[in-house]
Amino acid sequence: MDHNTIALLMFSSLLLMMLTGQRVFGAIGFVAVIAALTLWGPGGTDMGFSAVMKLMKWTPLLTLPMFVFMGYVMSESRLAEDLYRMFHVWFGPLPGGLAIGTILLMVLISAMNGLSVAGMAIGATIALPELVRRNYDKLMISGVIQAGSSLGILIPPSVVLVLFALIARQPVSNLWLAGIGPGLLMAVMFIAYITIRTWLNPQLAPRMSAAERASIPRAEKYKLLRAGLLPIFIFAAMMVPFINGWASLTEASVVGVAATVLVAAIKRRLSWRVFETATKQTLHITVMFMLIITAALSFGAVFDGLGAGRAIQNFFTSDLGLAPWMILVLMQLSFLFLGMFLDDTAMLVIVAPVFVGLAKALGFDLIWYGVLYTITCQIAYLTPPFGYNLFLMKALAPPEFTLPVIYRSVLPFVLVMVLTLVLIMVFPQIALWLPQTVLGR
Amino acid sequence: QETIKWRLQTYAGPALAEEVVKPAIEAFNTIANGQMEIELYTSDQLVPTGELFRAMQNGTIDAVQSDDDSMASPTEVTVFGGYFPFALRYSLDVPALFNSWGLKEIWEEEYAKVGIKHISAGSWDPCNFNMKEPVNSLEDLRGKRVFTFPTAGRFLAQFGVIPVTIPWEDVEVALQTGELDGLAWSGITEDYTSGWSKVAPYFLTNNISGAWIGHFFANMERWNAVPAHLQQLLQTCFDQSHYHRQWWYWAGEAKLRVEGADMTLTSLPTEDYAKLEEAAHKFWDEVAAESPLKAKVVDIIRKYNETMVKAGVPYRY
Amino acid sequence: MPRFLVRYVQIVETINRTFGRVAMYLLFVMMGIMVWSMITKFAHIPALWTLEMAQFTLVAYYMLGAPWTMQSEVNVRMDLIYARFSHKGRALTDALTVFFLMTYLGIMLYGAFDSTVYSYTYNERNPTAWRPVLWPLKSIITFSFALMLLQATALLIRDIATLRGEKI
Ligand code: NA
Ligand code: NA
Repeated sequence: MDHNTIALLMFSSLLLMMLTGQRVFGAIGFVAVIAALTLWGPGGTDMGFSAVMKLMKWTPLLTLPMFVFMGYVMSESRLAEDLYRMFHVWFGPLPGGLAIGTILLMVLISAMNGLSVAGMAIGATIALPELVRRNYDKLMISGVIQAGSSLGILIPPSVVLVLFALIARQPVSNLWLAGIGPGLLMAVMFIAYITIRTWLNPQLAPRMSAAERASIPRAEKYKLLRAGLLPIFIFAAMMVPFINGWASLTEASVVGVAATVLVAAIKRRLSWRVFETATKQTLHITVMFMLIITAALSFGAVFDGLGAGRAIQNFFTSDLGLAPWMILVLMQLSFLFLGMFLDDTAMLVIVAPVFVGLAKALGFDLIWYGVLYTITCQIAYLTPPFGYNLFLMKALAPPEFTLPVIYRSVLPFVLVMVLTLVLIMVFPQIALWLPQTVLGR
Repeated sequence: QETIKWRLQTYAGPALAEEVVKPAIEAFNTIANGQMEIELYTSDQLVPTGELFRAMQNGTIDAVQSDDDSMASPTEVTVFGGYFPFALRYSLDVPALFNSWGLKEIWEEEYAKVGIKHISAGSWDPCNFNMKEPVNSLEDLRGKRVFTFPTAGRFLAQFGVIPVTIPWEDVEVALQTGELDGLAWSGITEDYTSGWSKVAPYFLTNNISGAWIGHFFANMERWNAVPAHLQQLLQTCFDQSHYHRQWWYWAGEAKLRVEGADMTLTSLPTEDYAKLEEAAHKFWDEVAAESPLKAKVVDIIRKYNETMVKAGVPYRY
Repeated sequence: MPRFLVRYVQIVETINRTFGRVAMYLLFVMMGIMVWSMITKFAHIPALWTLEMAQFTLVAYYMLGAPWTMQSEVNVRMDLIYARFSHKGRALTDALTVFFLMTYLGIMLYGAFDSTVYSYTYNERNPTAWRPVLWPLKSIITFSFALMLLQATALLIRDIATLRGEKI
């Protein structure tokens, strides 16, 4: 069978298997082992299992359960409550203030954990009830929380960037630093959007009343600022030893866990229930990730070994004969398209090896490409029909947040994210300035 | 007639493979003219390096380029793969030992026992340290996490070095994230080729071995299924690739020490280096005590080195 | 449903839950190993085993936890169409597509078993300076895939029960 046919066959059966609704890891794994069994020749049966051993040697994956655990301790122990109260008091009086405060809260939460799950959980349990009580527009609430929490994977620490680093074999520290500028830019663009929307239509986001404002004593307002120290402490506890080389990435993630648990204990929020739930959820999420990565790694290796990987690269570079920039745009578009259907981990492990190879061959900076990739993942979280944040929102929000409301709410934010993506494509320095300045390369 | 297709996985990552194996594979494919085709895969691309041997044994991979040590061959000779400390001084020592001093027969026999054809052995670069911080004495190595080969790691642990084995492709990242303090893995040519010279810019000129031994292996059944003229062509192309590496490394080692812009050279005091060599000879005895076959190989290495010393300049200075 | 099948499902799920609940605490073993690694690094004492042991623990952690995770509906599905099905519709598709999952797990089990036999026969060691033998870890992986396969059969029985309007 010729290489193009194999590539087409493997991808189409993958999409078909996904559509059956079977667990994603089972769907990917099945296509991988069957392709190996039928097309590889002798010894093909080993291709599935060898991925387990390959995965074991990917040291940075040790950070995955750590970051997940941190996120759960943070959301389960409601550590972000004071933080939100701070934003509430300080930003409430502004038009759309509480929505802006929510975005800022999400930025800080993103700086403390590596996924968007924790942001979603915190947003839905702490910010959402308050926003509802203040009669904010449902579309605004749902959009703000989903878009804001997606920043978790762009602002360091970020699990998605760790995975990208493993696939692209790029330094995690450069990627993390490269995520900061774009993450902040995106937050600013969200805030700009909220401001403009609420300025045009104040009903979407009612302001805090003068009476309520007057009822908050000045002393309390300043006291609340102390809540802002929490994320700074946790972020610093993790990043300072890491950037200075005192602790490796995996060790730094354990320091982060220790800092979070310490804060929760000091605040007397670390009950046995919190601890047990966080431990259990961490296992579930880690298993989910690892099983998908294992299956996807086998898929990738079988795909490569059958010559299909080369076929795709040749198709883009020789057959189509496109300019590098056109190929880059095409890659981003196909990522966005796949993101509507595929889970981001699967997308990364299956598609990225091909695309990363291509981006490298075309001479693009892989650190910059990693940031572009991460933003497409963020968008994928929010684009219907299949997106993590969409599902989490449905699961966590009260019933009046119906699926159509959730789907519609993300659209303006997706547009803002696409705009950010374009800005970073045109001005790579938004991402690259920081790592080049700090690490000198 | 259908083309015979082989998958060959090398231990080297893409940047290095470009120099150390790709030319030979391309030459083979050109000359074989459609009768046989080798598809080249780089480190960990199809199977992880740790599973490489088993994969070749099962036929998942047809052929492999690696040292015995990193692919964990279940043979008696594995300990001599990679860098057996102070066994070799120059890269020509490898073909001399294999072809004139009898190592080739031993290797062929040991691998045949586990279903593998040993095709050919060739030399690569010396094993120097390249570190994030300068090393000026043995004491400076204490507590350092160093990426190295298993056997070299076993040897170096007595000097307080913490040997780390991770996938080759992750080394640069690990140097940046603090997982590693340096490498005892290659000469200066590979440091520059892999980009390690930028992240670990101190090069220790004293090596613990003058050359690395790399082999080509194949699954025995697959080898036997190839017609004689193609077997000969495989042998010839692989042998030729050793020659390519020989001048590439030899030229690079000297030139980059003198002209390389990234790395600062440091050296050990003579008495420290002598301590290392003395420890190596003790290590040889330990290994020789493990089995009669190992004793036989150590004996050959010892006699070879004694001969070199007696021969004097230019074999020994 | 026949009583022995119900009993089978209960036994399999209890075993898997038990292993999962124990495995979930391996998280803290991993943390402990890395803390020890940091301490020895500062004290300049070589600790050859920490990184590898952490890797082994991570594998044991998620492999032994996997069968339990399959019980609870945590693993992502792409439920573009699936979500629109009725309760029974989902049970029906699941009862059919679970065979794909079983095929995958079966081949993984075969590969893991084969690799374990190899590592036992040759006393395979991790190619590192510490050189730990690999058969204990590979046995754990094999055992976990066996449990996952059992869990998949339990899921199938549950789906059939749902189709018959029963509940286990
Ligand atoms: Na983050
Ligand atoms: Na999506």
